[in-house]
Formats: sequence, C-alpha cells, structure tokens
Amino acid sequence: METHSKGFETFHNIGSSTDWIVMVVYFAVIMLFGSYFGRYNRNTKDFFFGGRRFAWWLIAFSIVATGVGSHSFVKYAAKGFEHGFSSTMTYINDWFFVPFFLFGWLPIIVYTKIRSIPEYFEKRFSPSARFLATILLLFYMIGYIGIGFLTLGKAVLPLLPESFDMLGMNFQITLMGAVIVIAVITGIYITFGGQTAVIFTDLLQGFILLFAGMLLFFLGISYVGGFDTFWNILPTEWKLPLAHFNDPSSFNFVGIFWQDGVAGSIGFLFMNMGLIMRFMATKSVNEGRKAATFNILFMLPISAIVVGNAGWIGKALSLQSPDLVAPNTSPDQIFVVVANIVSTPGVFGFIMAALTAALMSTVDTLINATAAIYINDVYRPAKKWLKSKIKSEKETDKDELAAARYSSVAITVLGVLSVLAFKSFPTVYEAHGFFHSTLTPPLVVAIFLGIFWRKFTAAAVIATFVGGVALMILGASYPGLLIAPFDHGIAMDSAHPYSYIRALYNLFVCIGVGIIVTILSPSLINLSKKFKDSQSGNNLMIAFIVASVIIFFMMIFSKVILGTEPSTAIVLFFLFLALLMSYLVALTTTYFVEYDSDDNIDGLTVWSIDKAKELFKGSKVNDDEGEMILVNWEISDHEDDFVRFSKSDMDKMAAKVGDLVYLCDKRKYLGGLKSIHSTLGEPHDKDGIVQINLDQKESGQFVENRILTAEKEM
Amino acid sequence: MPSFFNTWLPYIYLYGVGGIFFLMGMVIIRKSGAINMKKKTHRYWNKVLIFGFFYFVALHAFFTIAALYW
Repeated sequence: METHSKGFETFHNIGSSTDWIVMVVYFAVIMLFGSYFGRYNRNTKDFFFGGRRFAWWLIAFSIVATGVGSHSFVKYAAKGFEHGFSSTMTYINDWFFVPFFLFGWLPIIVYTKIRSIPEYFEKRFSPSARFLATILLLFYMIGYIGIGFLTLGKAVLPLLPESFDMLGMNFQITLMGAVIVIAVITGIYITFGGQTAVIFTDLLQGFILLFAGMLLFFLGISYVGGFDTFWNILPTEWKLPLAHFNDPSSFNFVGIFWQDGVAGSIGFLFMNMGLIMRFMATKSVNEGRKAATFNILFMLPISAIVVGNAGWIGKALSLQSPDLVAPNTSPDQIFVVVANIVSTPGVFGFIMAALTAALMSTVDTLINATAAIYINDVYRPAKKWLKSKIKSEKETDKDELAAARYSSVAITVLGVLSVLAFKSFPTVYEAHGFFHSTLTPPLVVAIFLGIFWRKFTAAAVIATFVGGVALMILGASYPGLLIAPFDHGIAMDSAHPYSYIRALYNLFVCIGVGIIVTILSPSLINLSKKFKDSQSGNNLMIAFIVASVIIFFMMIFSKVILGTEPSTAIVLFFLFLALLMSYLVALTTTYFVEYDSDDNIDGLTVWSIDKAKELFKGSKVNDDEGEMILVNWEISDHEDDFVRFSKSDMDKMAAKVGDLVYLCDKRKYLGGLKSIHSTLGEPHDKDGIVQINLDQKESGQFVENRILTAEKEM
Repeated sequence: MPSFFNTWLPYIYLYGVGGIFFLMGMVIIRKSGAINMKKKTHRYWNKVLIFGFFYFVALHAFFTIAALYW
C-alpha cells in the first residue's frame, strides 16, 4: 500500500495465487467459447454484423456485457464510494431518446442496409459529409477504446506487484505497461473471433457479470452486518438516487444530465457502432426494438446496482471500520479493495476475472466496430478511388477479411496510445465524462438533425462539423468566458474546466450552426448560383476555402495567438470569425456539392420510413399480418436465392411471391444462430415442406430432420 | 435533511427537460407516420414507450422518498 501524490491510498499485490489460477482458467474458457462461435463467420458481413439473424433475447443479454463493461465496475464503484447511490443515475436516464431510436434511427439503419454511420452521411448528404463523419467517428471510437484500456489497466494494477525481477534486472509495473499487455491479449482474441464470437462470448459473460456483481453485493451486505445496518450507516445524501444539482464540479447532476443523459444517451443509441451492430444482428427491426427496450427498462437498472455496489459497500465499511477501508482509498481502486475484503480466495479471482473479461468484451466490440468503419469508409472507398483491379466476390471478401484483421491490430495500438490523453484525470469517470462532452456533440447533432429534420442540408451538416468543432475548440480554450453562461452555477475547476456541462455548450453551438445554415439555405443557393454565373466564381470559392482553413487553424492555436487571458472583445472577435468561417464553409459546400433536397431524403429520414422499407424489399411492402408456421426442409436444385412453400403454407403466412421470409431452426435456445433470410419463390404442392438450395442449407447450417420455423418479414 | 438542490430539483429538472425531449420524440414519430397507430404492433409499442417514461419517473421518486424518509 502507498500514498499517492493526490492523497489517495493505492494498493498492489491484492489477491492470492488461487485467484490468479481462477482468472487464467476463466479467460481460457471464455476464449475457447468465443473461438468455437468464430467458425460461424462466413464473410465480412458475418464478421461484422453476425448475419442479421438473432433473436432479441440473445442480443439483449449480449449487450449487458458491453454496457456494463463500457460503463465499468471501476468508475461507478469509484463514484458510488465518493457520492453514493447517485452513481446509478447515468444508467437510468436513457429513456428520453428511445422513441427517436426505436422508430427513427433503428428502422433507417436496417432498411437502408448501411454498414456504418458514415455511409448514412453519404447517402443522406454527400461523400464529403461521409469523409468528415468518418474522421470524427474514428476519433470517437478510438477514444472509447482508450477509455476501455485505461479502465482495464486501473482494474488490474492493484493485483500486480509494484515491480518484478527478470534476467537480473528490476522492472517497474506501470499503468501503461499493464495497458499494453492487456491490449495484446485483447487484440489476439478479436482478430480471430469476429462479431458472432463477440455476441456469444458477451452472452455468456452478461450472465456471469450479473451473477458476480450481485454476489459481491450480497457478500458485502452480509459482511457489513445485514441490509438494515448497511442502510442505516449511510448518510441520507449517499442514499439519494440523483446527485446534488450543481456541486461539486467533479460530480453534479446538471452537468452529468447534459453530458450523459443527452449527449451520452444519443451517442450510445445513435453513434455507438458496437451497439448498433448488435441491433443490426437481430433478425428484424421489431426484434431490435425488443432487445433495446428490454435492455434499457430492466438490464440497465440492474446493471447500475451490479457496477456501483462495491463503492456503496466500501463507503459503509469506511464508516464502520476506517482501519479496514480508509476513507481516502483511491476511488478507482475501491472495487478491487472491497471485492478482496468481502470475498474468499478463489471467489475474488472469479469476480476479478468477470470484471476484466467484461471490459475486454467492451473493448473487443469497439475494436470490431471500428474495423467495420475502416473497411467500409476508408478501405473500400480508397480501393475504388485507386481503381484497383476487379476481383471476384470471393477474392474481394478474402482481402477484406484480412484487412479487417490487420486493421483491428492497428486500432488496438491507437487505442493504447489514446490512453495517454486520459490518464491525467483523477478518475476514469471524469475522463469518460470529458471525452463524451467533447467528442460526441458534432456527430450527435448531425445524425439527429439528419434523421428528424427534412430541411437539414449537406451544407448545414458540413458547417455543423467544421464550424461546430471550431466553436467547441474556442470554448475549450476560454471556458470561463464561453462555457460559463451555460454552467448552471457549477464552479469552474481550472485543472479540468467544466468536464460535464461543456456538453451543453458544445451541443448548443453545433445545433446553432446547423439550424442557422439550414435557414439560410435558400439564400446560399441563390448566392452560389450567382457565383457560378460569374467568371471568377471558382477562384472566389477557392479563396473562401483557404480563408476557412486559416480561420480553423487560428481556432486550434487560439491559446497560442491570444494567450491565456485575452480581453472579452478579442475572444468575441474570434467567435465572430468562427461563425464567418461556418458561413463560408456552407457557401462553398453549396457551390461545389450537388444536393437534391428531394432525392437525398428518400427513405433516409423518419418522414419516409415506408419508402425505406420498400427500397429494402425491392418491391411493394406486404404488411398483412400472418402466422409463423413449422416446416420440414428439403434440398432443391434451384440456384437463385429464393425458397419455395406450398400455396396453403404461404396463405397461412399471409405471404405472396417476392415477399421476404425468415427461416430458422425451431430450437429457441439457439436464438437464431441457424437461420437464413430469403425471398419467396413460386409455390409447390407439398404442404409443410420448404424447398431450399444447398447454399442456403450451408448458410443456415440447418441440420437433417430438424424442423424449421418460417415467417414472412414483409 | 439535504437541501432542495440535493433532492427534488434534480428530479424536476430530469423529468422536466428530459420530458420535453421525450414528448418531442413521441410527437415526431407520430406525425411522421413512423409509428402507425392503425397497426396493432405499433399501438403496443406506443404503450410501451409511455409506460417506460412513467416507470422511470416512479422509480426515481420511490428511491428519493426511500432515501429521505425510510
């Protein structure tokens, strides 16, 4: 045990050899389990999306490990220890945006068959919007991976000695050293797994995590002396479910509401490719809705208890026996300290294994999702741009699968490097809060306005990205002037100013730019027409682009140019420059980018979901409600991707030729693992039989003599 | 006893401002036709969405009252 420079007590060498054995065995079992399901990856579509075939319950439980892992035992236990039950509030504030997600974003991403968020930006706006969205999203995802690695490092560090001897030399074990070793293990797993492996590993770990977290809670309550003792020993402030409105600056309700409840919730539901890919792996939009709803209504509140309770128990113990748990124990280590005190050797190893494995799951999911963005939004467009030689579908898929694996390794390395940006924060919670407040607003605003506002144009989205980011940088440089008007009375901590409430300022400036440019669109179109008609139009536009680049760099280096304490007038002048730049960006985008306000929104906004369904199917949608039927399968020698039922079976499903159908092994516990989507062909005359071809049989991994369920999709 | 800033103000702000976002979402999905009340499944989902909002309102109220008076 040692005392940290910030006055916290930190620990090393916690746990016994039994615990280490349990941890190693746990990891080996999880990796074997994952690699078994890795064989279900047939191509990049399966590697990333799991083939759009799973039942809602399987996805709902597999999300638990991702949600719990990403929000982490470490950071919520830390805030639970410092502030009590209000550590749960970020788990119970996601419902406000659920209507937007279930009936807006989810059907759009499924029906438009987009493979990544940037691809949506190209379809809805323009390739240049996709390019900027890719850059911002990669920053976001890699930063998220960095937070995951930082949390993992902090979780494992207390278990390790301070140093070790090898070859006659003494090596210090540092946080970064631990992170690098963890990253190597994580990278190996994801490289050979893929999305199906991640889904099934997370499914197992979701159950184990809930069990481990609840086990810790019951052991802790029992250690303290029962629930009544636990409840009565805690001060009232610690038992309140929401934090103090605006105090302290490191943990307050209103800042966290805007950072997590608004930016974080939209980011989690709309931008987290890892989570979105899970929903896209469900067999239908309705199953995705069920998975999301079940997760938010039931799993998140339970997860809040699972991840935060070690901090609450730690607080009770520190009040009951300060010698056992010192009140100044490092908050980020409280989980490990409490788990070690209340459990026996072996059980402690199991709890730690569950925690670290869950965190690895989160990081795995994020790496997989980031690799998907790389392949879809960097690799494929680059290949197309370089006009690479045309290969067969099989060769292309092989190349892409290899590129996906190499990119996973590169992303892991970048994730490790990004830890350096976050390790100066006092706790993981604050690092994560700052990260969310800073990186999510431009994309969150762009996605949100893109989906729900038909008039939002390509010029507006690009101005939101460029102008919004410029204004955010200016706010970060001079928070006392620009963010303070939004602070709701929160005191500014000069070391980490407005970690949470800056989200409100950032959202405000991004929305402001987006709305103003959209309103100005007719005048921008007229102006750009005039420039197109004039001879010097192109030259003027190039001059505007150069001016915009100069202003953008002035914003980046504003602290160097203006110093740390410039006058208000100078900062306001820079604010004006940023707005002028946003206007110039909008004007040049309107001039150069072809955007049709009718074509570009067809099937891509909440106002045209029916059109999206029609485009997905390729013909008129059949919405008649039919029933699910049971059938035996037989092989037919047709080559096209359709399946054939008898006329009477098709009537039961209320299906017609050309409708989409979902075939699945009847065994419910498989959760759709053995299933296919196809199109209905001309009927035959054998009731209770579905005719499929050999490719479909292999794709669905259907087993001889096993009954299938069949249902019409649309 | 903790102050109003610690107890009910965060609650009112959460479901006041959050409620505005929720209401906007419900209105937009209804007006846009994304949720079609003529369909049985969509009517079910409409109920689930409203239930979810009040479920969390009740959950936070319960825990606040429990902390203060139990």
